[in-house]
Amino acid sequence: MLSRHADCAFWIGRYIERAEATARMIDVHYHFGLESPLVGRALTWEAILAISGQKKKFNLRYQEINERNILHFFAFDQNNSNSILNCVRLARENGRAIRDQISSEMWESLNRYYLDYRRWNVDRVISESPFAFFQSVKNGSHLFQGITNRTLMMGETRDFHDAGRFLERADQTARILDVKYHDLLPRFTSDVSIPAPTDPAVVDPFSVGGTVDTHGWTAVLKSVGAFEAFRKTYRQGVTPARVAEFLILNPQFPASVRHSIGRVEGCVRRVSGNRDLSPSNPAERAVGRLYNDLNYLRADEIIASGLHEFLETVEKRCAEIGFAIGATYLKY
Amino acid sequence: MQNESPSLFDAYDRGGFYDEMLTENGPRAHYQKLFQNLSAMSPHDFRARTELADLTLMNQGITFTVYGDEEGTEKPFPVDLVPRIIPANEWAHLERGLGQRVRALNLFLHDVYHEAKILSDGPIPRDLVVNAPNFRRNFIGANVPGDIYIHICGSDLIRDGDGTYRVLEDNCRTPSGVSYMLENRLILTRVFPGLFRENSVRPIDDYPSVLLNNLRSFAPPGREEPNVVLLTPGVYNSAYFEHAFLAQQMGIELVEGRDLFVDDNMVFVKTTRGPQRVDVIYRRIDDDFLDPLVFRPESALGVPGIVNAYRSGNVVLANGIGTGVADDKAIYPFVPDMIRYYLGEEPILEQVPTYLGWRESDLQYMKDHAKDLVFKATNESGGYGMLIGPQASPTEISDYLNQVMADPRNYIAQPLIALSRSPCFVEDKFEGRHVDLRPFILCGKDSVTIMPGGLTRVALRKGSYVVNSSQGGGSKDTWVLGESRNAMQQSMGSMVQRMEGGC
Repeated sequence: MLSRHADCAFWIGRYIERAEATARMIDVHYHFGLESPLVGRALTWEAILAISGQKKKFNLRYQEINERNILHFFAFDQNNSNSILNCVRLARENGRAIRDQISSEMWESLNRYYLDYRRWNVDRVISESPFAFFQSVKNGSHLFQGITNRTLMMGETRDFHDAGRFLERADQTARILDVKYHDLLPRFTSDVSIPAPTDPAVVDPFSVGGTVDTHGWTAVLKSVGAFEAFRKTYRQGVTPARVAEFLILNPQFPASVRHSIGRVEGCVRRVSGNRDLSPSNPAERAVGRLYNDLNYLRADEIIASGLHEFLETVEKRCAEIGFAIGATYLKY
Repeated sequence: MQNESPSLFDAYDRGGFYDEMLTENGPRAHYQKLFQNLSAMSPHDFRARTELADLTLMNQGITFTVYGDEEGTEKPFPVDLVPRIIPANEWAHLERGLGQRVRALNLFLHDVYHEAKILSDGPIPRDLVVNAPNFRRNFIGANVPGDIYIHICGSDLIRDGDGTYRVLEDNCRTPSGVSYMLENRLILTRVFPGLFRENSVRPIDDYPSVLLNNLRSFAPPGREEPNVVLLTPGVYNSAYFEHAFLAQQMGIELVEGRDLFVDDNMVFVKTTRGPQRVDVIYRRIDDDFLDPLVFRPESALGVPGIVNAYRSGNVVLANGIGTGVADDKAIYPFVPDMIRYYLGEEPILEQVPTYLGWRESDLQYMKDHAKDLVFKATNESGGYGMLIGPQASPTEISDYLNQVMADPRNYIAQPLIALSRSPCFVEDKFEGRHVDLRPFILCGKDSVTIMPGGLTRVALRKGSYVVNSSQGGGSKDTWVLGESRNAMQQSMGSMVQRMEGGC
């Protein structure tokens, strides 16, 4: 297939996944903020900015971190290249560029996703129902992915699309985990600080295992749609180590880093047709290395050596995989 | 068919024009059934179907963007749901005439790029041809497979006040609109399935197959499984939808200039498995942008070196390079002479009388009668560079005449033809709007195929004569009826029992 077409398919996969991840992240933290007045909204909105790595960009153009501005920035800002609006728009433009390669149903779904999305704006989200809004984004992405599964030929277009989709998913899961880890464990990393209770008889809700802590890790699980699956896997409570193990290493959870990277490896291997153990090109090498680590590492090893450091490496390696796929197949 | 609710045809005014559907004594014979069906429909029902069609178009992304709107609002491409019908005998006449015409045009192109006999023998002034902006003198002597230059031709037909079909112009470069012809048909079959059961409408859906077979047949010798691609300027081109649609329908790759490169006078496409040779390019990019080494050096749309590959016979371009000299509006008046010269036949189709700025006596007439004439720049399209004298102010006329005097070769003028009208759905009733017809003609190595029908374009603005989509035009599905219409009707008569109000 044409390199440019492969590039478009890859980015459709990424953008559709990114739109969903962004919606999930705001959705869950939105409700986390509503239910946990102790933490205060400012803290959770800051966490969202940190996950996306866009705090600077936000501060440049918005005076205040509040619900309206955060929603606008992440969902509707035309100048934020990662806003949901831009993700959906760019997915559609890439779809338009390869509409002869994908199924008509896929194109119509991308097109409708965008047209329906354009009917939303911040005022409507706030006054009507944030829940319905986030649901519509998640459904838009799921519908497109379902239609893709059902109508797109098993072949290179699909492999490049899926490679983009799962690479984005691995990256997003790692980011969410990383920031919440920062946000919850060391108590406060931001300029917001709440004094610990002076009466020793009162349980500090911010301590490990305290209500805010449990609530926070539950929010992490919910934001990647993992809460129910986690419950089925671990009968014991929600602890940081278990959440990290589940989201990074669980081979069966569809949004775990390990599962997602495994899917990426499957895609690049199908494209090249290479069945040898050793990689045949830089893309296979980059993705294979990360996948092997994930297959053989144990959760306690990851935590002992520093979860944050590990997740940072994962994010960096995801970026390298993206470059390697580009250099091997797309932009030679 | 009686109906108590208001009819869509209430107060329908033919306005003194030739109406495609209605005469003073009611509908023409070939519109009889359609007229009955439409008369039985309520405005509400018809509007509901129009909305359904618009929604279908929106969902498929068959839209255009409203310019000047920051939000980038998109509107569905305007389709009027009342079909235009052409009876079998009329179509047979058009088919013969168009076939004759495109054969002559191909012979003309071969001639002017070789011995140029027609210029020496006199019927066409040499000066007009060799100074035409789209005459590519560096192609003199170049050979193309089967001597076919125009593989796809879209000639525009109009009907005058008597209903006589006349050729208004030929489009021999990169004619567009065929996707709308196919989509309009698809939409009508969805919205009015019953109408097709009652009228025997000739199918048009094999257009992509015929085109692909033709393109493959022109591949360079020795290429058993030729690689055919469609070259588009990209997603921002107004006809991009059509390019993607045709590529999809033919199952060929849709490429941009940046996907192609030339090595050793051969064209390759960059794929995930390395470069692959390209044999035939259905290009939807004008000559000027095709190769920055030969034409406009600043063009980023084309492929450096592609023209040399073409000259070497290693790749085939459809349409060929230099076809613009055949659809130059100043050459147009001489097409009947070409037909007589090359084919020894009398032209079957009428043209529109044309005054040439290039000819001094004509120029004088154009100046004196400007307010009665339609002026056109010879190498513009899309309804640009036009002046409609009877609808223009004295200042507009004198400004335009100044342009004409500065470069007379570049202008022609024609009497304003009272274009035929067809009923269109406007604000809950039918009103007459001017229409034309663009049939699509495909040339193979030794065959000419004309899709039965074409794109009927409508000037949707009241009183307007300009049908181009860039100027507020819309389109209609065009039905050519089969020969066996009566037999079909009889055999299906018992099967078709129409439900009240439905079509």
